[in-house]
Amino acid sequence: MKNKIKDVVLFNIGAVVVGLVISACMLLFMDVNPVTVFSKAFLKIITDKYTLGEVLVKATPLMFTALAFAFTYKANLFNIGAQGQFYAGATVAVTLSLSLGEALPTPLLILVVLVCSFLAGGLIGALIGLAKAKFNANEFLVSMMSTYVVDAFMDYLLRTFLRETKGEYLQTDPISQNAYLPNIIPGTRVHLGFLLAVLTAIVVWVLLYKTPLGFRIRAVGNNASAAELAGIRAKKIYVIAFLISGGLAGMAGLTEINGVQHMLLQDFNSSIGSYGIGIAILANGNPIGVIFASVLFGLLSIMGTTMGRMPGLNIPASIIDLLQGIVMLCVIVAYFLRYYMEIRREKKKLQKASVEHA
Amino acid sequence: MDASVVELRNISKYFAKVIANQDVSFSVQKGEVLALLGENGAGKSTIMKCLYGLYRADEGTILIDGQETVIHSPKDAMAKGIAMIQQHFSLVPAHTVTENIILGNVRGPIHMKECREKVRRIAEEAGFEIPVDARVRDLAVGVQQKVEIMKALYINARILIMDEPTAVLTPQESETLMRFIKKFAEKGNSVIFITHKLKEVMEVADRIVVMRDGRVAGNLRKEETDERELSRLMMGEDVIPAIRTDGEGTTSGEVVLDVQNIRVGGGKAPVLLDGISFQIRRGEVFGIAGVSGNGQDELCEVICGDLPLSEGKLLYCGRDIQHDSIRRRIDAGIGYVPVDRYRDGLIMNMTLAENMMLKTSFDKKWTRRGFIDQKKLNSYTQDIIREHQVKAPGPDAPAKSLSGGNQQKMVLGREIDVGSTLIVFNQPTRGLDMGAVNRIHRAILEEKAKGKGILMVSTELSEIFALSDWIAVLYKGRVMGIFRNGELSTQQIGLLMAGYDLEKGGGDEK
Repeated sequence: MKNKIKDVVLFNIGAVVVGLVISACMLLFMDVNPVTVFSKAFLKIITDKYTLGEVLVKATPLMFTALAFAFTYKANLFNIGAQGQFYAGATVAVTLSLSLGEALPTPLLILVVLVCSFLAGGLIGALIGLAKAKFNANEFLVSMMSTYVVDAFMDYLLRTFLRETKGEYLQTDPISQNAYLPNIIPGTRVHLGFLLAVLTAIVVWVLLYKTPLGFRIRAVGNNASAAELAGIRAKKIYVIAFLISGGLAGMAGLTEINGVQHMLLQDFNSSIGSYGIGIAILANGNPIGVIFASVLFGLLSIMGTTMGRMPGLNIPASIIDLLQGIVMLCVIVAYFLRYYMEIRREKKKLQKASVEHA
Repeated sequence: MDASVVELRNISKYFAKVIANQDVSFSVQKGEVLALLGENGAGKSTIMKCLYGLYRADEGTILIDGQETVIHSPKDAMAKGIAMIQQHFSLVPAHTVTENIILGNVRGPIHMKECREKVRRIAEEAGFEIPVDARVRDLAVGVQQKVEIMKALYINARILIMDEPTAVLTPQESETLMRFIKKFAEKGNSVIFITHKLKEVMEVADRIVVMRDGRVAGNLRKEETDERELSRLMMGEDVIPAIRTDGEGTTSGEVVLDVQNIRVGGGKAPVLLDGISFQIRRGEVFGIAGVSGNGQDELCEVICGDLPLSEGKLLYCGRDIQHDSIRRRIDAGIGYVPVDRYRDGLIMNMTLAENMMLKTSFDKKWTRRGFIDQKKLNSYTQDIIREHQVKAPGPDAPAKSLSGGNQQKMVLGREIDVGSTLIVFNQPTRGLDMGAVNRIHRAILEEKAKGKGILMVSTELSEIFALSDWIAVLYKGRVMGIFRNGELSTQQIGLLMAGYDLEKGGGDEK
């Protein structure tokens, strides 16, 4: 078992390094020396406190959307609508923060926004689960399309009820400072949301692996037929799993509105849903693994931004996507490589044991 | 050894974590029927799949007609005249017999008329009565098997491998098959017959290769051996069969399950069960015989709540339970050992401990302050492992790491505890080795002695005869009759299983 964990860590670090090397080679096409650029960017991140903090800021919402995907993944279901559930959470978070901003003390206000953004995302999720349970709808499609519906609805609200008083851009007024998530590391933008995300990941792990409900969700996910025969109603589990999954994505609404943007903007953070899927797969659906995978993605994203800002080099911003894409590919290949090696090792062991036996 | 058609030399095949075959050597002569005897998991099918090109052996060589040969795929094997009939047939149900037989063996435009003639001629030569234009899905299993055999004849196979061919046949159909095998071998062909049934071996084989734990445990001529010796070679030990003590408890106990005239399906759906009535009393084993696929699975599902009735009544301890959920029936003390433990019995990716709480996941006994009480669950699992002599490393082992027999013992252990009043066994020993079968039989009789009602579906008549107090025969969703054990001979039950009414009604209905 110990060996296994060592393998996982070694293989993943190796994959990240290989991925970085491959993406570095891409820079050669732009007549840029990858070694200097990479070392400069890396140096900047580890020496500059603010930039290092940005890694965690970026990682925070990714953790929630990744957990959202990972949670249903364990029930053999696919919620790829985390983006929409995040928007639903964000819309509710900004509405509550704007209307109750001055009325409630900060801790109580944050708690209310937290619960309501969870419920908002959860509602969208539960509807998807219900469609699956009642009409046997394909949850993959329904969840994907739900994102567009929520996006359009948010757009409508931004043009009408939530539009800023100046009426200039498609955004809301800034929320009151009273509604901000408190900063936890001075000199950076890291806010309480990061701790909340880590905590949530742990809670999700406990829920999945230590409670009867989580047990039932995993049972349905691994073998719905056997679970049904054991008196577990798979349809009910579908709705519950999607509700929780949607809620997790909705919580990202709180951390982004009250922690980072302090207002709602049209189409903001428009790719955290899809990155969440990648991160969850990277972590093989394990909630604790999601924490590390999210931080890795945050790191890659900041590395890309830092390189893009280097004067005179003209490195395009799409370097971020390139980095993330290639590193992810490498990690997934490493996963299969590790699996293959394990099988070969077991075979060798058998062969040796049987020879000794004979 | 000059006439060896096939010779295997020192073949080894490893899968991750298991040795499937180790240093296996034997040969097959021209005109010989070779039985490959062994328990499930002994490596019989694997070694044959290596020969047929479905697997690549990790070590060793295969000689065909004395020539070293590498077989990459079934296509290679067929070109060398080797055909294999798998345990699960590979036929296209929606196609006709002719279409199935020529599948993969025609190029360019198909001259249907010629093909049909050729198929008809082959059937005649083999002595099969087969409607060459019928769709395969409309044929009985025994006939489907003949179609499989004809596929082999069509490619002029001279080495025919059959993997457990009698598992799906009635006793009468098996006899026909045995006759064919003998005739086929007399013509100078060779047959490799994979089985775990000693009776068949003694009936048809010229030579017997016994396998145990992936190795050859014995290579004997039939005249030199007997069933006793073969069984010892197969098992590595003598097995004393579990025997029911007669007349104990029957008819006196209270009725646990009262099935009244139930019907499933109808209207637009096909009728799966029709007019079924019987009673099971405490301390009784009610055996249901029949060829698989005649409504046994549906009957079990109706009782445990997975399939709704269209008509009739289902009384459990005097109460109608047909609208109760599966969960309520579990709580009421109905245990169910399903036929397919992979699909319905266990969750293979989960640990043994988790599988032990599967049926009772709503029960508060597994939790402490809302969290799963892992310690309690582990010690319970350990108890089951010990009690049923399961070979398992511990409660944390994933279910898939166990062998079939040990998995089944885990399911059995769980269901015996769940089923405090009634236990439904659907082919509890299918595909298991004799050691495991024996232990499961003992467990069933123990539960009977405790006064539980037991419904046991089985396609093995020997199992039905060994354990049941009452025997019902199911054919196409109908009960062909209910008899006391001992009232009917194997022959008579075989006829009922094939759908023939016994002229003299036989036995009194319960």
